[in-house]
Amino acid sequence: MNFFSKNRMILIIFSVILLILMIGFSVSDRTYTTKAEMFVGDSVASSQKAIGGPFNVIGSIFGPSKKEKELEAKLDMLPQLEADVKRLEEENNKLKEALDVSSKLDYETINARVISRSPDQWLNSFTIDKGTKDGISEGMAVTTPKGLIGVVKRANGSSSFVELITTDSAKKNISVEIHNGDKKHYGTIENYDEDTNTLVVGNIVNDGKIKEGSKVYTSGLTSIFPEGIIVGEVVDTENDSYGLSQNANVKMESDTNDLDMIFVIKQDPKTAEDDK
Amino acid sequence: MRSILLFITFFIMMFIDFSFANFSPFTLFGIEVYFVPKLVFMMLLLVSIYFGLSYGMFFSIVFGILLDIYIGTVYGIHLFGFVAFIIFMHTAFRVFYRDQVGLFFVVIVNTFLFDFFIYGIYKLINFTNLPVFDYIALRGIPSLLLNALLYIPLLFIVLVLRKIRKNVFVKQL
Repeated sequence: MNFFSKNRMILIIFSVILLILMIGFSVSDRTYTTKAEMFVGDSVASSQKAIGGPFNVIGSIFGPSKKEKELEAKLDMLPQLEADVKRLEEENNKLKEALDVSSKLDYETINARVISRSPDQWLNSFTIDKGTKDGISEGMAVTTPKGLIGVVKRANGSSSFVELITTDSAKKNISVEIHNGDKKHYGTIENYDEDTNTLVVGNIVNDGKIKEGSKVYTSGLTSIFPEGIIVGEVVDTENDSYGLSQNANVKMESDTNDLDMIFVIKQDPKTAEDDK
Repeated sequence: MRSILLFITFFIMMFIDFSFANFSPFTLFGIEVYFVPKLVFMMLLLVSIYFGLSYGMFFSIVFGILLDIYIGTVYGIHLFGFVAFIIFMHTAFRVFYRDQVGLFFVVIVNTFLFDFFIYGIYKLINFTNLPVFDYIALRGIPSLLLNALLYIPLLFIVLVLRKIRKNVFVKQL
């Protein structure tokens, strides 16, 4: 402590610089997880699984079993499947016209369970019990049975850290399409409006009024997200200040506060390569 | 022995903090109210008083890094915050923790300030746009009340741990 009292000023300045550097590192656009992060993440996740184990057993005795929950989750996924069928039909028609186009809808899902939510409750991020061993990697889309909810931010060996799309750092490059009757409008998720609890989709070309209730899907145009994942539905729209483009407020289909079973969308590597 | 038990207790407190995220936020009259426990932080403060500053520093660094990596989107907040607040408490509030009531207020006020510090950083880097008044009313005060309730059993645990002899294994030999 003698050392500290003598060099207090230097230590404070050094600590502040270190904090700024660490914040800078963590908010930078990196697409990998370091080995140290993997190790710490996995060891805390596995100890949490061990501590939470007995509680889960008690929960499964009184509540629905794991299998029942999975079945329920699959049943909830029906709207997504119906949407996929509709889109596949449309795509099939287009493919008949142009035979050499590959499908963008090829993806498989990995079932995962939420093992912990962020205790500081600022960013609403959470940890799931599957990692790189199960084929998960950074940047993959995460959905509930009802629709898109987040992005895998860091993938450890047997656990992963997921950020909700309502978080600022998770929303980069999520391109969406709005199905307004027969017409499609393209835009990108700009931010999350905490007052109205809606996602704001911006940069939509102003060519016609978007109806309320129009469904919003991922477009598959940017990032490695596949096409056709339900995001939500349009609540209202407004023109930007120049009137050239419009913004749409989109209510998410998924409830961010009630998460248990989730699905990580693993896009078929072949089609992912085609997208690049 | 004491250090091992302290470590295990810290881990358990961390998981109690985690488990609260499953209940909170509560929707009261259509408004979301957050109750955020800060058991790890409060225990760090108590350990630094009852076991010594070096113990507090050691556990601050270990659990600061653990929390930053496991739950943090922004690194450094917990690590820096834990260490800075322990030093801050020992410098600014030294006079107040002579008696139990004084200690209670020191810990609770510091817990509130620590959460406010995290809010400040998130606000600074534009991760939240919650107005200050909303933060205090919907998160700061409810969390303060929850932490005041949790303080009493926590103090009891720390006092019990303090009674455990440091060198229990050596004595047995």
